[in-house]
Amino acid sequence: MRKKLIAALLTLTLTAACIAGCGNNPSEAPADAPAEDSTAAPEAEADSDEPYIAMIALGFSHQFWQAVKQGAEQAAADYNVRISFEGPETETMVDKQVDMLKTALGNNPIAVCMAAIDTESVAGILQEAKGNGVKVVGFDAGVGEAEADAKCTTDSIAAGAIAAEHAAELLGGKGKVAVIGYSQTTIDSVQRNKGFIDKLKSDYPEIEIVDEQFGDGDHLKSAEIAKAMIQANPDLNLIFANNEGSCVGAYNGLKEANKLEDVMLIGFDSSAAMKEAIRNGEIAGAITQDPIGMGYKSIEAAVKLANGEEVEDFIDTGCYWYDASNMDDENIAPLLYD
Amino acid sequence: MSLAGITKEERGESMTEALIQMKHICKSFPGVKALNDVSFDLKAGEVHALVGENGAGKSTLMKVLTGVYQCDLGEIFLNGEKLEIRNVRDAQSKGIVMIHQELNLMNHLTAAENIFIGREYRKGMKLFLDKQKQNRKAADIFKEMNLEIDPDVKVGDLSVAKQQMVEIAKALSYESKVLIMDEPTASLTENEIEDLFSIIRMLKEKGHAIIYISHRLEELAAITDRVTVMRDGTYVGTSNTHEVTTDEIIKMMVGREIFVTKQGEFQHKEAPVTLEVRHLHAGKMVRDVSFTARKGEILGFAGLVGAGRTETARAIFGADPHESGEIFVNGREVKIHSPSDAIRSGIAYLSEDRKQYGLVLGLDVDINIALPNMEKYHKNGFIQFAKSEKNSTEQTELLTIKTPSIKQKVKLLSGGNQQKVVLAKWLTKNSDILIFDEPTRGIDVGAKNEIYKLMNQLAEEGKTILVISSELPEIIRTCHRVIVMYEGRITGEVSGAEINQDAIMNYAAKKA
Amino acid sequence: MKGIRKNKDLSQKIIIIGTFILLLIFFAIMNPAYIRYDNIMTILLSTCVNGTLAIGVSFVIITSGIDISVGTVMTLSCVMSGTAFSVWGWPLWISILFGFCVGALCGAVNGFAVAKMYLPPFIATMAMQMIAKGLSLVISGIKPVYFTGAPNYQKIAIGEFLGIKGFYNAIIIFLIVAVIAHVIFSKTLIGRYDLAIGSNEEATRLSGIKVDSWKIGIYSLCGLFCGIAGLIMSSRLNSAQPQLGAGYELDAIAAAVIGGNSLTGGEGSIAGTVIGALIISSLTNGLRIMQVSSEIQSAIVGLVLALAVFIDQARRRKEAK
Repeated sequence: MRKKLIAALLTLTLTAACIAGCGNNPSEAPADAPAEDSTAAPEAEADSDEPYIAMIALGFSHQFWQAVKQGAEQAAADYNVRISFEGPETETMVDKQVDMLKTALGNNPIAVCMAAIDTESVAGILQEAKGNGVKVVGFDAGVGEAEADAKCTTDSIAAGAIAAEHAAELLGGKGKVAVIGYSQTTIDSVQRNKGFIDKLKSDYPEIEIVDEQFGDGDHLKSAEIAKAMIQANPDLNLIFANNEGSCVGAYNGLKEANKLEDVMLIGFDSSAAMKEAIRNGEIAGAITQDPIGMGYKSIEAAVKLANGEEVEDFIDTGCYWYDASNMDDENIAPLLYD
Repeated sequence: MSLAGITKEERGESMTEALIQMKHICKSFPGVKALNDVSFDLKAGEVHALVGENGAGKSTLMKVLTGVYQCDLGEIFLNGEKLEIRNVRDAQSKGIVMIHQELNLMNHLTAAENIFIGREYRKGMKLFLDKQKQNRKAADIFKEMNLEIDPDVKVGDLSVAKQQMVEIAKALSYESKVLIMDEPTASLTENEIEDLFSIIRMLKEKGHAIIYISHRLEELAAITDRVTVMRDGTYVGTSNTHEVTTDEIIKMMVGREIFVTKQGEFQHKEAPVTLEVRHLHAGKMVRDVSFTARKGEILGFAGLVGAGRTETARAIFGADPHESGEIFVNGREVKIHSPSDAIRSGIAYLSEDRKQYGLVLGLDVDINIALPNMEKYHKNGFIQFAKSEKNSTEQTELLTIKTPSIKQKVKLLSGGNQQKVVLAKWLTKNSDILIFDEPTRGIDVGAKNEIYKLMNQLAEEGKTILVISSELPEIIRTCHRVIVMYEGRITGEVSGAEINQDAIMNYAAKKA
Repeated sequence: MKGIRKNKDLSQKIIIIGTFILLLIFFAIMNPAYIRYDNIMTILLSTCVNGTLAIGVSFVIITSGIDISVGTVMTLSCVMSGTAFSVWGWPLWISILFGFCVGALCGAVNGFAVAKMYLPPFIATMAMQMIAKGLSLVISGIKPVYFTGAPNYQKIAIGEFLGIKGFYNAIIIFLIVAVIAHVIFSKTLIGRYDLAIGSNEEATRLSGIKVDSWKIGIYSLCGLFCGIAGLIMSSRLNSAQPQLGAGYELDAIAAAVIGGNSLTGGEGSIAGTVIGALIISSLTNGLRIMQVSSEIQSAIVGLVLALAVFIDQARRRKEAK
């Protein structure tokens, strides 16, 4: 009897988890992603006094998105709108994101803020939504140009170029550089690298780019890549890692290889680990975006568009270089998150 | 009677009318000469038995004929024309088809789909399957065979006998002239065997030639015209079946006089009861079964396939659950919910399907013998290899298991030796009640007798032995007492001198 | 006859080890930096996490099961141990043991679902994969869990063993894990029953062995190894990263398969798995050093996997004949 009870309980848990894990319909309150759940899962039918805006990100399990969400919630409170915020488990699940968009549109939002994994696969749906009067704001990776009523994002090429200028300064205009990216398909990652590499090539002929590899933003993989890079290029001077996972991974790789003093590291975004390493000089510095601002401005633009106001087509949410010297400044410190 | 003498003349005479002739076939595998100058011929419209112990070369010879192997030397003629058989497809196209002992059917497909697999009828620019036509064609074949099988029924839902008929129908659909049947009656009941025989006779009349491989020599007289004996990869002789006795054939097969188990009266009527089963119910196949077995007794379980004998054994052993009933071992009631409960009570079960239920084929002899006995061979979870190996070596010698080493994988042993390995593991366990389910299925004549001898010996040593067998001669020759079952119930019991075929069949074929 | 069989076992080992050595030689020729001492250590270090997971999953694969939850269970166990240490304030070593227990418990649940609830292993462990991932994110609040109170936590994995330069502790931990796993597999009842269940589960049950319980044990063992992998992983990164882990099971299964463990069960060895894991990490490292682009790296590892299984199958078919 006892055995049967346990079996039944376990079945229930497993079943529940399976269902929760497979369906990511926000109205089902997914059990495996309760973090998105605090503001997600809008019961559209139950309470629809406030206008509703759906926000769909590339993912949710990264602190960057949590910061965007924080900004968006702030704006939602300021402008009296209801928002949902969600994203697929990994930043490659195109189909899941499409499903999320479709579901969100079913709840009659006044606007959608979206960072599309693949702009093409959501173009049709967004066009149709626009036909129904839904405003579309792209943020971060954004959506296709034809679909976007406005775009709030970091100019990734410019961000990469800023990183390149600081790299050149650190190197004194001369040396060997390698790049660790987090994705060879996501537009942000591609553009950060492009901005970085192009800037170095055009302005600093004595700096050589020796290698460019991709580690999926996985800390461990990025660490292995960094170590292989210094093995293949013993005279490497600097590594540019284009997101948090790549940067912390590269940092650990250099640490394991005892090369922190020989090879400089420039990162992107921030985390507690990155901040600590930057503070004590082990990482030379990094570019931070303004995810909170990005979230806030996206919702703001969406509200304005829905009210029939004009907004700029491209809203640059800005990016900043930070290192040990300026990271506590009052304009930088709020942009750094753990 | 000198068989070899007869053959030579007859073979000379039959040259003209032979459908298939295999001449001077030699085939070697690394280290083994599997066939050494074997000749064989088959006439149209005859059933030709091919017998020999396992390893005699029967299957190799048939594999050469069906294109699975190519012979090193020798020639094959069909209607006097030389044949080149390079693969199974070649053989099929010449009308030579083998029906294997392990049927090669897909259980989830229908009878018709199985028959025409690979040659499906299609329609609509050949894009779609033409199920109707296929079923019609299959129905035609079944009709021709006088069979009532629905072409649209899933093969898995058919009885083994019917499945075999589907295989034969498949062979006929190839318009085959030569059918090779490997142990076709191994898993059939008496009635089903009769059905099979009538189909064989029908095929014979239509001019098909049949090569009939069987270990059941008793059958040969009933169905075959000639018999060819092989031994150790060589040809021993051919004779007209009605001119030789079973004993003579056996002698040719093993090349020596063999031990015949004598059935003695069970002397110990007062011996203590070791196993008592009361009102056992388990599923549909075990209904209110009660019996007792005594120390030193060999108790047989006879009945048709599906009478519930195996199910009874599995329920006693805890392999399947039972709803109600009591089991007493040495007078004490035991609760059996799993095989480990039964084993702890001293009951062992030697399954009818050694390969599936009795042995871990991919592992070696030592591991198999030790498997139920590991509690003797470990200390804090660490295996004491020396202890288990010592026992395995002893058992191997005691039971004369022929294996190059106890580290040999069991799947490489012959059926008889595999059965002995199963026995060894239960003897090591010191089980007092041994249930043998079809103990000699797929085992050749020589080894069969060894198993009978072992069973006798074990009974004399005081073990209780239960034997389930579909081969009546086996039951009649070995058992002191026989319980007969029909549709899950015990319908009768015979013992001592009363044990004979008629008495048993009488109970086996009707309700109590 | 005995000799022949031994040769067959040997020939399989020779194929794997030979592949490994050929790989080393090839990359060494392409770039001598490949066989420098510190790069060898790098390769060994990068084998530790995947190798430990692969060992765990090998035990399951040999029963003819599969465990695709190893990656996220690894993550969950280090997130739990980090939380126990940093949030609940438990002593470090108890937190680490707690992490192991979490891993083993997840494994036990897998085993229970497979053995007692008759879920197919793939489904049962897929459920666990999702559950573990969800729990990791919830418990960590989607933030890395840092071991801030233990400044030497990172030393557990990347401290230098006995002060030998470049010789990381993680390698020793992995070595010990591998030896223990090998002993468990070849010298204890678990290993014996592991093989027997994988070869013929029903015959094993009918030999009176409580197959269900042993299966639960074997899945738990696999979970325990995930916990150990979690320790190595979190120590290397000095943090438990809750979003990592998915996808690690594929590398682990690949290592087990390249190492000659048959997915149909009943055959395999821990030594093979270790070499399989080494092949994967030396291959990836070599390709990175040769600066082969990431997408081609992935394709090449896939090819090696297919090739390894093909050779193994060919050998098996030959043996069957």
